[in-house]
Amino acid sequence: MTVSLIFVPLILVIMLNIPRLSGKTAYYTALAFFVWQFFSVFFPFLGSQQIADLIGKFFTLNVYADGISKIMIISAAIVGFVSLITSKVFSKYDSRLFSLSNLMLLAAAGINGLVFAKDIFTMYVFIEVIAAASYILISMDKKEGALEGGFKYLIISSIATVMMLFSIALFFLVAGSTGLTEISAVLNDFSGNTIVLAAIMLFITALLIKGGLIPFHAWLSGAYAEAPAGVSVFLGGIVTKTTGIFVLIRFLYSVAGFSGNIKAVLLIVGALSIVIGALIAVTQKDFKRVLAYSSISQVGYIVLALGAGTAFGIAAALFHVFNHAIFKSLLFINSASVEKQTGRLDVDSFGGLGYKMPVTSGTTAIAFLSAAGIPPFSGFWSKLLIVLALWSANCKGFAVLAVLASLFTMAYFLTLQKKVFFGELNPKLEGINEAPLSLTLSAMVLCALTIGVGLFFPYVIKILIFPAVGII
Amino acid sequence: MSYESLVLFKLYLITAPLLFVVGIYAVITTRNIIAMIIGLEIMTKGVTILLAAAGYFNGKPQLVEPLIITMIVVEVVILMISAGYIINIVKKHNSLDVSNINKLKG
Repeated sequence: MTVSLIFVPLILVIMLNIPRLSGKTAYYTALAFFVWQFFSVFFPFLGSQQIADLIGKFFTLNVYADGISKIMIISAAIVGFVSLITSKVFSKYDSRLFSLSNLMLLAAAGINGLVFAKDIFTMYVFIEVIAAASYILISMDKKEGALEGGFKYLIISSIATVMMLFSIALFFLVAGSTGLTEISAVLNDFSGNTIVLAAIMLFITALLIKGGLIPFHAWLSGAYAEAPAGVSVFLGGIVTKTTGIFVLIRFLYSVAGFSGNIKAVLLIVGALSIVIGALIAVTQKDFKRVLAYSSISQVGYIVLALGAGTAFGIAAALFHVFNHAIFKSLLFINSASVEKQTGRLDVDSFGGLGYKMPVTSGTTAIAFLSAAGIPPFSGFWSKLLIVLALWSANCKGFAVLAVLASLFTMAYFLTLQKKVFFGELNPKLEGINEAPLSLTLSAMVLCALTIGVGLFFPYVIKILIFPAVGII
Repeated sequence: MSYESLVLFKLYLITAPLLFVVGIYAVITTRNIIAMIIGLEIMTKGVTILLAAAGYFNGKPQLVEPLIITMIVVEVVILMISAGYIINIVKKHNSLDVSNINKLKG
């Protein structure tokens, strides 16, 4: 599964470009790839082993798949699929669809490589593959705002990458290798060493920047809000989660371990992100910017759960990564529907859109409730796990904060829902119809996933989440 | 590690962070978007030196060589993308000033 999931998208990109095929072909190829990626996690016999054997004759790659990477692969497949569908609706020209599908496949190869990597330098290379693809995706339409947001993302993210490389060099200096297991073995011997501490600090800071956590959040809102609609789904759903949070989980879980200082940093950064992200989200006037700041707030929850420092905390964080990928892409798709039908995203200019777009309104409400942690939706269970993990790890103050901050989440989402979908119908919106079928259908599928994961959460936790971190 | 190589090593350990800090300073203070990219490059050069020194003092230069070459390739890709950004920004505003890309707030 591992090798073929990295190489098949790359081979597909080459096949699509030599000779250059049409945009429609590229689009359906990419869709088929994401479907295959999703099912190859559950059914390994779907041809991926044969492809891996074939590729193994030419290359040797040091990769492996564990439970954590499986969760990320599933989320990436779902988010990639729906974001491609969303992009199709906004693509007027065949060439745009073509480059979009190709870049999405490249980013998928990067994500798959990153989650299977066993080596800290390989992680860096795949992070740059994802980043390069997303820089181009953001500024595809060459709009002024997108260029600005993308350039800020490029600069800040590149600084983070260089910091990461710096710490990789320091790790190499100490361990003489870049493998995760070798570094982890050496870190136990040199736990008080200044160089080792500096390296760990730099690495974690770089990942916090890439995850867009407060106080490193300056790039995030611009990049998310100004990107084309389909790309926002991809960025918000999976890109920052893999390049920032997943690498953080992998690094802490299998290399650095949880020392007291790291836990304190994670708890404080997480708590700050939850509260400040939510407070800024309340004040925003743009639909997508609200979603961007809510993303910061939700990622704060994930980092807070990691701060508990237990296997239970990591499980809770992973579950929230999965749930967040689903409900945040649902919200971005609905913002795309609104943008497609009305041509703007300024929150104050709407009102009563729910009468005209009932499916969009209903699915948005469900995603909001899931994000705010209302049972029986999936977000409730992951937030419950986070609170339980914090409580059992004796961080009771932060557990209480996590519960109370859900009220903030409710606050900005209710404001948004009321301003856009509820209330009196704005007379200017008289001629608006429901969004195209592909958008509403993918919104409904994601909505069904949110409800389904919420209702069948014992199975999800038992089959996917707890085995990933070794809790039986 | 002999005394001379220790001194030499300390030199590298001072130079690399120095280049890193110079690069960050350049990125933060400059008013020119091309100079920003140059600042990024200075930072990357500091890291390259550190990586090479780490390989040399570990006695494993053969392990670091492919890493550095990979790094340079990745760096060039990112550089090309940022050049594309700069070209498009200049086409929009007809100037290289940073204040043109300072409109998004909050």
